[in-house]
Amino acid sequence: MSVSEKSPAVRTGEPRVALRRNRGGGRAPKVHPALWLFPLPAVVIYVIFFVGPTLQAFQYSVTDWDGISSAFSNVGGGNFSRITTNDDLFRGALTNNVKFLLVVVIAQTALSLLLALLLQRNSKSSTALRALFFLPAILSSVSVAFVWKFMYDPNFGLINQVLGGVGLDRLQGAFLGDASKAIYWVALAQVWAHAGQLMVIFVAGLQQIPEELYESAELDGAGTWARFRYVTWPLIAPATAIVVAYTTIQSFKAFDLILGLGGNPPKGSLDILSTRIYTTFTNSRFGYAAAESVVFMVIIALVSFLQRRAVRLTQHGV
Amino acid sequence: MSTTSKAPHITRRTVLQVLGMGAVGATAAACVGPGSTAGKASATAPKSGASASGDISFAHWRAEDKEVFDKLIKDFQTKHAGVTVRQDISPSNDYQSSALQRIRGGSVGDVFTAFRGAQFVDMAKAGIYTDLSGQPWAKNFSADLIAAGKSGGTQLGFPYQVVFNMPVTNKELVAKAGGSTPPKDWDSFLALCDKLKSQGVVPIAWPGGDPGNAGQLFNSMVMNNAPSDDMCAKIEAGELKCTDDWFLQTLKQYVELKPYFQANSTGTAVEPCQQIFATGKAAMLATGSYHIAAVRALGAKFAMDLVSPITTTADKAKYEGIYNATFVLGVNSKSKHQAAGVAWLEYLSTPEVAGQYANGTSQHVTVSGVEYTNPDLKALSPWLDKKTLLAPRFQFNNLDVRSAVEGACVAVVGGKKPEQAAADAQRVVDQQRKG
Repeated sequence: MSVSEKSPAVRTGEPRVALRRNRGGGRAPKVHPALWLFPLPAVVIYVIFFVGPTLQAFQYSVTDWDGISSAFSNVGGGNFSRITTNDDLFRGALTNNVKFLLVVVIAQTALSLLLALLLQRNSKSSTALRALFFLPAILSSVSVAFVWKFMYDPNFGLINQVLGGVGLDRLQGAFLGDASKAIYWVALAQVWAHAGQLMVIFVAGLQQIPEELYESAELDGAGTWARFRYVTWPLIAPATAIVVAYTTIQSFKAFDLILGLGGNPPKGSLDILSTRIYTTFTNSRFGYAAAESVVFMVIIALVSFLQRRAVRLTQHGV
Repeated sequence: MSTTSKAPHITRRTVLQVLGMGAVGATAAACVGPGSTAGKASATAPKSGASASGDISFAHWRAEDKEVFDKLIKDFQTKHAGVTVRQDISPSNDYQSSALQRIRGGSVGDVFTAFRGAQFVDMAKAGIYTDLSGQPWAKNFSADLIAAGKSGGTQLGFPYQVVFNMPVTNKELVAKAGGSTPPKDWDSFLALCDKLKSQGVVPIAWPGGDPGNAGQLFNSMVMNNAPSDDMCAKIEAGELKCTDDWFLQTLKQYVELKPYFQANSTGTAVEPCQQIFATGKAAMLATGSYHIAAVRALGAKFAMDLVSPITTTADKAKYEGIYNATFVLGVNSKSKHQAAGVAWLEYLSTPEVAGQYANGTSQHVTVSGVEYTNPDLKALSPWLDKKTLLAPRFQFNNLDVRSAVEGACVAVVGGKKPEQAAADAQRVVDQQRKG
């Protein structure tokens, strides 16, 4: 019997996806040529709004274009060499971003996993609490920034008021005004805003784990920690990978939260890579800002790659 | 007929060829040289009286002035049938960062405003102004206050507001502390702060957590310390350095002020400072006269005045305070309704209208012959004739340099050593100059 005769799609006149032999000898679906037109609008939009600007960023990155003049010079790798060797502002933003990333990735992943473990059952109280913890995720970053701006205000803010109220005046602080710790306070706001959202991903992952595995582990004498380490942790690897990758990208792009809390442009202690690039554009240094964007892109790609490797190694190695 | 025989003659290869050609086209388009949309030389605006019509956008950042502008627009529209004006308002920080690119597109800002300094310079460079030289209504403005709207001798814009970027005082609290006359030197200023503090009042509410407003105090702190009036331009040009004695002295004076700021001042935003000041818990608000309306809106009933810290001895003080001529009004060279834009500016330049704006928003204006009826403006009017310096912080055209230099002042209040803060700032200035 021929392949097409076997295919129900052909017999019924449904979108015709027939099977044919691929190079590996297996059977791959044969796609009607007209179906190739379907992604065309999306591809066109992608090319115009993503591929084009990305290529332009590479081109601008080797110029000293100010974003205004018709004249510009080609500076070769000059922008890149300055970024990597002689730019305190970029280095400061990168350092802040790494601190922010580490705190957010570790704290947010740990907190969301903990909440998911505690609230994975579909009881009424768990469902209500899950909704409560998810609530900040539906707020815009600007709203989150306003909430935390109030929390951190040294004079009228909730934190200092509570500390003062319970006699812990010595713990009161300037929070965002403390240059050495400001970025950690922003990270805390970010964790608060997104932990509930990532908890949902973990809950979905946890609910996929068959109950029998826990029962047999229990019969083998595994305690709570052993069950988590040898059953839960490896089996939520896909969820963890998603959470960590998402959190990483999110940490690099915490643009609006930083501007909401730190103003525009933010001071050096709150500047991260995305806000630094924006400030450079604002400062009419388009060529240099484009070079910063290219470096930023490379950093994100590198960190994401390393992270995926690390997650894979951790969870396969248990 | 089978479905197979009806299939259009599009093969995967054809589709891939089309996509490939599209990608090559996009790549080629992406490789068009930067600067291809750069501005042209500014065109001359139509003279007032030319037939005006159309719907014009008025782009600015003063959301707090919206109501007053709405009233003026209503009146303007009754006098100019066929012209409608709509306000496009962005928050000031956003306006500072993105207005140029929005306005040069021509879809907003037939008439637009600019901050004096870097933004005006960039907008002039981008060619988005029309030449307003020779407009008959230009004589309505005080000539010395509109110089900030000139570029290369051409009047591209008209600064509209006169603001005093120096601390606002609660006259009653200052008088109680014996400060009926403004301190004439640094020691008297510190003595006044000390007296205020001893009376249980925060001497100075300073928004150290808000770089834009924290920097206003910088104007007063350097006006008499610096060796020249164009000190910020010279720092940017490398002719003066943050490590120079005068700047170190300024940083040390910031350290001396620290006990007189509210607690944890480096983390305080501007709104809490306004609140502290409006409720009589602070004697000075170290931002500027442009916050008086906001403080009144918070319920402040007390009389207000201005005071600048004189950082030298009385005999060495050149200036008593700071002013700024800003909100530079211009007509977009890309506008299709330039005549309507010019008519709107002419309307705003009439003393009666400018007076309504000034009294409604508690801001002085650059238009001559305006009668100030607002009690705060009346009280501050003597400052229009005092020896004041045009706010030097707006001499910085590079915002990173400005942030670094002003950031050093915040850093020393936060505990950094002045020498270290000065060296850090100078390193950024040097790096920016090389860029």
